[in-house]
Amino acid sequence: MEKKVGVYICSGCGIGEALNIEQLQNVVKEYNPIVCKIHHSFCSQEGIQIIKDDIHNEKLNAIVIAACSQRVNQDIFIFDPLKYVTERVNLREQVIWTQPKSHEITQLMAEDYIRMGIIKAQKASPPEPKIRELDKTILIVGGGIAGLSAAIEAQKVGYKVIIIEKEGKLGGWMKNMYKRLPSKPPFRELEKADIDIKIKEVENNPNIKVYLNASINSIEGEPGMFDVTVSSNGNTEKFRVGAIVFSIGWKPYDAKNLENLGYGKFKNVITNIEMEEMASKGKILRPSDKAPAKRVVFLQCAGQRNEEHLPYCSSVCCLVSLKQAKYVRETDSSSSAFIIYKDMRTPGLYENFYQSVQDDEGIFLIKGEVLELKETEDSLMEVRFDNKLLGKKSIIKADLVVLATGMVTNMVPEGREPNNLTSEFIGDIVEKQTEDGLVKELEPVPIVLNLKYRQGPEMPHLKYGFPDSHFICFPYETRRTGIYAAGAVRHPMDSVQATMDGAGAALKAIQCIKLTSEGKAVHPRSGDMTFPEFYLANCTQCRRCTVECPFGVLDEEENGTPKEHPYRCRRCGTCMGACPQRIISFKDYSVDIISSMIKEIQVPEDEDFPLIVSFICENDAYPALDMAGINKIQLPPNFRFIPLRCLGGMNLVWVADALSKGIDGVLLIGCKYGEDYQCHFIKGSEMAAERLSKVQETLDRLMLEAERVEMVQLAINEYYKIPEILNHFLEKIKEIGPNPYKGF
Amino acid sequence: MGDEITLNPDINFIKELKEAGGETLKKCYQCATCSVVCPISPEDNPFPRKQMVMAQFGMKDEILADPAVWYCHNCNDCSKYCPRGARPGDVLSAVRQWFIKEFSVPKFMGSIATNPKMIGIALAIPIILFIVILGITGHFHIPDGKIVYSKFFPISYIEGIFFPLVIIAGVLYIISLRKYWKVLNKVNGTNYVKSFGDAFVESITELVKHEKFAKCETNADRKNGHLLVLYGFIGLFITTLWITFYYYVLKKHSPISLLDPMKWFANLSALFLLVGIVIIILNKLKDKGVNTKTSYFDWLFIIIILSLAITGVFTELIRLAGIKELAYPMYFLHLVLVFYIIVYFPYSKLAHMGYRILAITHYKMTGKDKD
Repeated sequence: MEKKVGVYICSGCGIGEALNIEQLQNVVKEYNPIVCKIHHSFCSQEGIQIIKDDIHNEKLNAIVIAACSQRVNQDIFIFDPLKYVTERVNLREQVIWTQPKSHEITQLMAEDYIRMGIIKAQKASPPEPKIRELDKTILIVGGGIAGLSAAIEAQKVGYKVIIIEKEGKLGGWMKNMYKRLPSKPPFRELEKADIDIKIKEVENNPNIKVYLNASINSIEGEPGMFDVTVSSNGNTEKFRVGAIVFSIGWKPYDAKNLENLGYGKFKNVITNIEMEEMASKGKILRPSDKAPAKRVVFLQCAGQRNEEHLPYCSSVCCLVSLKQAKYVRETDSSSSAFIIYKDMRTPGLYENFYQSVQDDEGIFLIKGEVLELKETEDSLMEVRFDNKLLGKKSIIKADLVVLATGMVTNMVPEGREPNNLTSEFIGDIVEKQTEDGLVKELEPVPIVLNLKYRQGPEMPHLKYGFPDSHFICFPYETRRTGIYAAGAVRHPMDSVQATMDGAGAALKAIQCIKLTSEGKAVHPRSGDMTFPEFYLANCTQCRRCTVECPFGVLDEEENGTPKEHPYRCRRCGTCMGACPQRIISFKDYSVDIISSMIKEIQVPEDEDFPLIVSFICENDAYPALDMAGINKIQLPPNFRFIPLRCLGGMNLVWVADALSKGIDGVLLIGCKYGEDYQCHFIKGSEMAAERLSKVQETLDRLMLEAERVEMVQLAINEYYKIPEILNHFLEKIKEIGPNPYKGF
Repeated sequence: MGDEITLNPDINFIKELKEAGGETLKKCYQCATCSVVCPISPEDNPFPRKQMVMAQFGMKDEILADPAVWYCHNCNDCSKYCPRGARPGDVLSAVRQWFIKEFSVPKFMGSIATNPKMIGIALAIPIILFIVILGITGHFHIPDGKIVYSKFFPISYIEGIFFPLVIIAGVLYIISLRKYWKVLNKVNGTNYVKSFGDAFVESITELVKHEKFAKCETNADRKNGHLLVLYGFIGLFITTLWITFYYYVLKKHSPISLLDPMKWFANLSALFLLVGIVIIILNKLKDKGVNTKTSYFDWLFIIIILSLAITGVFTELIRLAGIKELAYPMYFLHLVLVFYIIVYFPYSKLAHMGYRILAITHYKMTGKDKD
């Protein structure tokens, strides 16, 4: 398609004073645009009309706006993305606000950005969205409180729902509950367990279909067209759904591992699950002789927050013990309950419940550490513990000891320990005979979903079996597009939270179906209509893209070439960065486009002025850089920033492009990776770091120092660190000396 | 480890404390803000955080023996700053009230003095007793002539009633104090760094100067009221000895001339008592229970003292005004209140004096009072 480019240079917001606009215009003219106009305020009605008129009269199809950051005025500089390429050149935040006014080097910087912007607009083309008829049914895996809530919410907004439940009845754990924690203000009193209301609502709804005693044989496909095979009561059925809510819930930590706390050793030591069962039957009795238990000791963190058992806090066990202490008191006003805790954790408004329980004269909350459990001759349990409140070793003689065991996600299959799982995918390390000899390899095991994905049959997990997601920014999200986790499967939670989770995940599932049917990406690039394109003729079947995609988009054909499932894609471009053959590209984002941008940078011949190209993450580093500008923080003039959708899209060829052109250094600024990662695409910045560790090869070939290329991690709020980071790298480059390729 | 302790909470004890004005005691979550802000808590033996645990856990015997209960002067900085509204000051007040009852000899007297329902009976006893005595001896009417109170209630009767009462009450009180002293020593040990005499004198000096009260911040105004009441009582005690000396040694009989130094002293003491108790009441009204909640036990005591002072002053004023019909009933009322104060001294709030002095003395003897 022939490109008709219009370039608009805004002189407002101080740009006109800080830069020589005429000179900029001369640079633009080198590229022979259809029009190049200057206005003091393109974001005004008058300004935007100028652009619109040109689009109409001059039949422009690419618009370059050299003004403010792409992160502002997005609602103004918007032109039909299916017809026009719009490129924003950030002269305000990242040039004039961080550089001295009317200075030669500031001018050079602005010129470089305009060159890059124009070349990008010339090379890019509007997306061609893939739109087709999709199924809009929502499948809910697991009929506990989260799943039921998801089903009810989804059907309320007109979606058909299918629930798959492995048990013979709906309701999950809530079904066995005597009473539930307070769910409404003032959050002080226990409430009747009311899961039956939800169950009835689901059972009586014609838009909700329930499969009981069911399991999933396989799930194939992608959002909008997941083909699901289910076995239920001996029958096998196949159907198609649009999106999936994954609410398989939790199981208690196996108390058999807690022999140190007397479980299995003493009859009168039970778990909180057993206590709940007993309470719903009506009486709290000692298992040994069925006598009423009048003195009950609850031991908190029975395995939780212990590296040997459950290394995390289950967040609800304190509340459960407070609730069960109330059960103890309910039956007999002379009975007493003791809760020995490490830290009493009652998040949010449950504080009120905690306070109301604490007020009960027969309930005693003691910070302490259990030292020993013994059975006395009169078959009482003697709990010896270090009483931190009194600073004394203390003893309580009790009828019953209740272990407050924690929650394990049902992603962890029976027989596996949550603290000892293989990383990323739950499975086994097996030895395989390959061409390279005996290789140890992870073989993921099927658990519930049985996905027919190349990367494995289940969701990647983050830790302890909890499905991986960008936990803070995108709860419910998983690394399998179209599948949204809800409830205690994704982290320990109570029934109120699980109810909200169900609603949240259902809405995410609906959003996914809707966006996908319009050919748009789900977040974080929601609305993006580009798709990765594969020039398969040049594919060498190296499988890097299929392995590295954080979202398991790509399966493999038998010969190893990638098999696309475009609707699984989040458009991060990690595959593009991975591909050594450079065969993967997007309409407005490709190896070639970025390479071309690098080529447009004018490298000064002055050897005392090192030039550095910096690839930055568009999600966090770019706004941080804008923030530095907004705060008028002066930055060294030696950097040219190129935003990437995600650092995961970083292709090493750009390093070669930059250095062979005489650019002195390459700095990558991406999100934090590893534990507590912040990458929006989960693995992107980690992949970039991984690739960078192999850049030595490229540099060796060019006979350059490895130190010329570096990656740093930056959070969105750390704009104040930018000067130090840039100056530090600049000093290093100065020390290494000028790039010998300069001037070639 | 000998330090090991078996937790056996007395749920009734917790309930009783709640009823006695400590209903917030279970709210404590052990942050120890109270021990930090307490202006008088000794550095190495801070309170009242630990005492709050003891109260919460119904550790009756332990808290009974803890001298901190009496070291506390109810400044209520702790209650003011408590982030949880647990009001340690009120809780300790309740503990002290319960404590006085617990150490009462005989115990039923404690119940009479601390139980709101018993106040009628408590006051009825002297009224009936006096009426019976005066009735039998034919004195129960308003005498003719100039107002001379001994015409109505002869001195010998008063002495006949009150001397034995003072002795009995005193002995019973001393027995209670001894009991307490034994408990203190048993539980807290006898590793003394100071002799009883030295420590006792120090405690008394502190008391006379009200040094600990002076440290209170939240409740600073109370110091003056309390001091005046204390001095008033001491003055009136001296007055009583003085007048006895006049009566038996100098044969000087009531009413004594207003110009007599004894009379000056007596009137001044009465004024101290009256002003002191009024200050205390005003403080309490001003505070409106925000920092210090005043229990029934406390109000009862305050009202009795106030009535005692008012009836005393009026007995004198009305006599000077020559209104017979009022003077004798007022005197009668005053005597009833004096009776009440004396008989219930070991069981009322007044009893705190001895326990507090002993507790502080013990602190000093064991060297635990270092700031």
